[in-house]
Amino acid sequence: MFGVDVAFNKPLYLLLLVGLPLLWVFSFRSISGLGRIRRFFALGLRSLVYVLLVFCLAEMQLQYSSDRVTVVYVLDQSESIPRDKRAAMVQYVVKDVVEHRNASRGDRAGVVVFGREAAIEVPPYEDSLPIQQGRLEAMMKVRSDASNLEGALKLAQASFTEDSAKRIVIVTDGNETLGDAQAVARQLAENGIGIDVVPVELSSRAEIAVEKISLPSDIRKGQPVQVNVVLNNMTEPTEKDDGKVAGKVIVVRKHGSREDVLVEQPMEIEPGKKVLTFEHTIDQSDFYTYEARFVPDDKLDDSMVQNNVATAFAHVRGEGSVLLIEDWENPGEFDYLIERLKANNIEVEKMPSNGLFTSLAELQRFDCVILGDVPRASGGGAGDVSSFSDQQIEMLVRNTQQMGCGLLMIGGPRSFGAGGWSNTDLEKAMPVDFNIKDAKVVPVGALVMMMHASELAQGNYWQKVVAREALKALGPQDYCGLIHWSGNDQWMWGGGLIPVGPNRNQMLARLNRMTPGDMPQFDPAMKMSLAGFNAIQARGANVAIKHMIVISDGDPSPPNPATVKAYITAGIKISTVAIGTHGPAGSTPLRNLATQTGGKYYAVTDPKALPRIYQREARRIAQPLIKDHPGMIPITYPHEVLEGIEGFPSFDGYVMTTVKENALVDTGMVAPVPAEHPDNATLLATWTYGVGRTGVLTTDAGKRWANKWTAWEGYDKFFTQLVRYTMRPTDNQGNFTVASEVKDGMVRVVVTATNEDDEYVNFLKLSGTAVDPEMESKDFQLRQVSSGRYVGEFPADKSGSYFLSILPGPGEAPIRTGANVPYSAEFRQQRLNSALVEALAALKPKGGEAGQVIDGNFAIGRVEELLKVDTFRQDLPKAISSQHIWPFLLVLCGLVFFEDVFVRRVTIGTEWIGHSYQWVHARIFGAAEKEDEEDRMERLRMIKQRATADYDEQKASTRFEVGLDQPAAPSAVEEELSAKTPSSSPSTKPKKMDQSSEEEDSYTSRLLKAKKQARKRPGGQLDDDKT
Amino acid sequence: MPAAGPSTEPEVVWGRRGVSDGLFEKPRAAAISPDDELFIVDMTARIQVFDLDGHFLRAWQIPEFYKGRPSGLSFDLEGNLLVADTHYNRMLVYTPDGKRLDERTIGGVEGSQPGEFGFVTEAVQDSQGNYYISEYGQHDRIQKFDKDGNFLFQFGGHGSVPGKFIRPQNMVIDKNDHLWIADACNHRIQVIDATGDEAKLIKIWGEQGSEPGKLGYPYDLVLDGKGHLYVVEYSNHRVQKFDLEGNSLGTWGSSGHAPGQLNSPWALVLDRYGRIHVIDSENHRVQRIRL
Repeated sequence: MFGVDVAFNKPLYLLLLVGLPLLWVFSFRSISGLGRIRRFFALGLRSLVYVLLVFCLAEMQLQYSSDRVTVVYVLDQSESIPRDKRAAMVQYVVKDVVEHRNASRGDRAGVVVFGREAAIEVPPYEDSLPIQQGRLEAMMKVRSDASNLEGALKLAQASFTEDSAKRIVIVTDGNETLGDAQAVARQLAENGIGIDVVPVELSSRAEIAVEKISLPSDIRKGQPVQVNVVLNNMTEPTEKDDGKVAGKVIVVRKHGSREDVLVEQPMEIEPGKKVLTFEHTIDQSDFYTYEARFVPDDKLDDSMVQNNVATAFAHVRGEGSVLLIEDWENPGEFDYLIERLKANNIEVEKMPSNGLFTSLAELQRFDCVILGDVPRASGGGAGDVSSFSDQQIEMLVRNTQQMGCGLLMIGGPRSFGAGGWSNTDLEKAMPVDFNIKDAKVVPVGALVMMMHASELAQGNYWQKVVAREALKALGPQDYCGLIHWSGNDQWMWGGGLIPVGPNRNQMLARLNRMTPGDMPQFDPAMKMSLAGFNAIQARGANVAIKHMIVISDGDPSPPNPATVKAYITAGIKISTVAIGTHGPAGSTPLRNLATQTGGKYYAVTDPKALPRIYQREARRIAQPLIKDHPGMIPITYPHEVLEGIEGFPSFDGYVMTTVKENALVDTGMVAPVPAEHPDNATLLATWTYGVGRTGVLTTDAGKRWANKWTAWEGYDKFFTQLVRYTMRPTDNQGNFTVASEVKDGMVRVVVTATNEDDEYVNFLKLSGTAVDPEMESKDFQLRQVSSGRYVGEFPADKSGSYFLSILPGPGEAPIRTGANVPYSAEFRQQRLNSALVEALAALKPKGGEAGQVIDGNFAIGRVEELLKVDTFRQDLPKAISSQHIWPFLLVLCGLVFFEDVFVRRVTIGTEWIGHSYQWVHARIFGAAEKEDEEDRMERLRMIKQRATADYDEQKASTRFEVGLDQPAAPSAVEEELSAKTPSSSPSTKPKKMDQSSEEEDSYTSRLLKAKKQARKRPGGQLDDDKT
Repeated sequence: MPAAGPSTEPEVVWGRRGVSDGLFEKPRAAAISPDDELFIVDMTARIQVFDLDGHFLRAWQIPEFYKGRPSGLSFDLEGNLLVADTHYNRMLVYTPDGKRLDERTIGGVEGSQPGEFGFVTEAVQDSQGNYYISEYGQHDRIQKFDKDGNFLFQFGGHGSVPGKFIRPQNMVIDKNDHLWIADACNHRIQVIDATGDEAKLIKIWGEQGSEPGKLGYPYDLVLDGKGHLYVVEYSNHRVQKFDLEGNSLGTWGSSGHAPGQLNSPWALVLDRYGRIHVIDSENHRVQRIRL
């Protein structure tokens, strides 16, 4: 599977190899005394050392190339493709992998699905695709109302591993509505990633759409209004079918909860566009939403229902009105306030928190929104837990920040931090923070989450989501811990519960790496958790609320009764969430656990309910923020709301907050307790947020804490002034009409300004803000185009409603309107985008062959034609992985260098081989004495040769080691050796040597002689008589 | 007995993650047939059949597995496969070639009454044809049925005192028809004589720990008929060998992914040649060892 090649990371260093001949020239001469063979041998070794050093400098590496191919299938699951074709995609990829994947090569296959978002269904997997029964689990995370091929290609690229050739097989109709796939595809090709495309042909379908509903720019109360509805029948007529579609056009006008059907008209629409026009009158000031809908008589005449609705907006200004949102579990707590506001000419509408607004449009008819002691999430069981979604919170905030509506939070035990609103956008919009940063002010809460839902589909994903939600809802001083199974029961964030404040980001980051395993039983984890709670208490933490949430698919063994009892004794409540992987069997132990400890039990079948449950449960931790203290008298400061009001009666409690350190915050009232922390005792504060105002009253409106206020004569004045202060101004000095239309992807706004005498007003500086369907705001300028006429525009690249707010001048009421892009491009009648399909397939990956368009019959059960193209074909650049070997070469270089020195400095004789042979031969066969004598002579000759060689070497080495042959001062060791040599030896041994031959002096004896001579010299420092 | 530790190499390692024939998605239970075929069930609810060297022979899938997958396998006296269909509260019976014998199913109703079950962990048959079916969840008990599937009596119950269980994950029957039970969450082994009209505790040993002699979630066990008991430990990632009195004779394996290492093993099975096939669940493979 792997081939090996050699490469250099810094090849320029290889130029140093040209110095090799120079080395030969100089070295050849310098080692001329070594003899021929040794000289060449030494030269070879020295050359090798040089070459190895150069290779090290050039960072030599081994490169392994792999034949493995990884194919990632990118499946377009957007709604422009009929459902049956989307299902056929799954069949195709499963069969294609079985047909073409080469298991012996280790090929891998993965699947990415996409719509508006992209998600990995199967990461590259070395087997057939593990898609059970055609279900695409990743689609839970993907919205299908758009096609974002660009995002999918990026995700596919990121999912590849580096050890294989890479190909993406895109299955799509080519109608991308978001992003630019071609740009990304070019990058893929540049990176050697091949692209094949399986085009999904879209057959001609009967299709009708409501293109738009339009209203005139100048709508005034009591005057007739002309409404136009544009319908488009995109059905292509054939010989057999004239393409006419029969159905009903319904136009509805909505304001508040009221719906008036203006038109309900049967029509038969021919292919092409048709405009329906009618007139009606607006009798009442309000913000109106007009909705036109087409309902075909035969559903088969309309393949996409998503494009059958269009919306328009009209605002007829009048007196302001207020929306009060109350907790649906505690209805009626603000009825007295509503009654008093109405008595003071403020229109109030009540909305329960389980029937919340779903669009920004619904909020436009109100000039102030009051959140009356409403928690972020409320409800008992899994089915009835309701909560403000992130998007609804964002709508509330944008409604104030961009559209100028007032936003007021009135307290109670379920509001502010105690209501789970911490760390939300709503907190940012308010003049106070909902957490207390100083732990000495309020006791803290502690939460442990126990994760056991490993068998839930996408269980790991959902467990991360809920942990994140709970973590977000906790205050900085709260403690949190998470227990999961990873070979044993483990704490996720170190050893137990840790404070959230300084660790929140790290905790969130660690969560991403969590992979909870299959916990065998609850009991040890619960004991760990109990020990964790006790440990923080032992460390001196002022923990008031201890809570635990257990999520489980229900099959660990239940806890020991003694453990449960210990929880009850410690006052720790356990809420349990049974996620329905294993049916109801596991629910009873979980229900018992919650019941015994006083927690809540939730039985969940849809994982999407889980985040709401965790928000609701995390709210329990925030209860210490409630300050109950009977008989407090508010301390007041000058504030516009309090003008003319004095003598506040006592009140008994409020929710503690932290006033924002911002000069814009205007504090009106503070509670006397705790006196040492007035920043946490805010009762009334307001500030300006964007173009609107927000305010807080942290005590209630008379139900529990401020019930003495209801009998107080100042009640009406205080609350009326508070609401009116935050309300959007409703009076304009001038007269403005505004119209908007969507054309060519732009929203165009036209404002006509007149004064009280109906004369045009010129030279105004108008600016506007739009909130798009995803709650993002865009600013735009209006320029005057004629007398009293101002025009502005901005791009509208998303489908849905855009809300516009134009400020005529400082302190004046904003002019508001809306524009609607009726449906996503995804829901236009479309055909296969062959151009994109071919362009993508034609891209030639660097080092490989261009891709293929894989045509063929594409329907459920009939995908075999598509299998004719081998998507795992090896015509792509092979994957190459590198391994640096220069450190190894460096070590080798050292060893060779040693050899080089060894060869030059040491002579190894070979005579012992002959001797050994003769000795063995003599032992076995016997040998003549004469031969022994000859042998001795031969041995002597060899000794002589070796001595000669030593001498040669001595000579040669003088070229490299200057001074070795020169007389030198003896070392201390030599001195010592000389001193201890027996006196007779030097006199006898040299004598014998002299007798045999002067030439046979050994190298050592010559050294000794040289040493003696040196000592005899006058300059010598030692006495010569020691030898 | 080789020395304990990760250095001891297995004889054979086979299988890897996958859904094709011969591959596994977290295998959790195994049994060897009288014909020396190895049956393994995994999280795809497939029962795959191999020879003793790991060569794939055939496979079939349990038809219902949405609620959960089987986690216990054994063979009855006739050579049919008993399947603990854990999350469907029943014991299924299959012929070795995958034909389901519906008439022999026991259970199917969740509950605490006789014949009802929580999470079924294992079903075994004694030499007289009686069935013992273990379960955990609310009840942690073992029910005994006659060879026709009629309820006889039950014993155990949730708890840590001797004779009670917390997750009796597996059982094996010895030549005396005594039940050797892996009492997983009590980290111990219990031996019970239930041959009569009631259950009598004969032996009990074990405590939680990772030292030799201690246990960490014993999930499966097997007797070799030569005076040894082999236990696979889920959280200690090892196989431990005991004599029949509960004295540890050594351990094999450690936590990891290399050959000779285990990752949350669920089961083991002994073949007629004295070789142990360890179901290395989270490594999606089987390791064959000889201890």
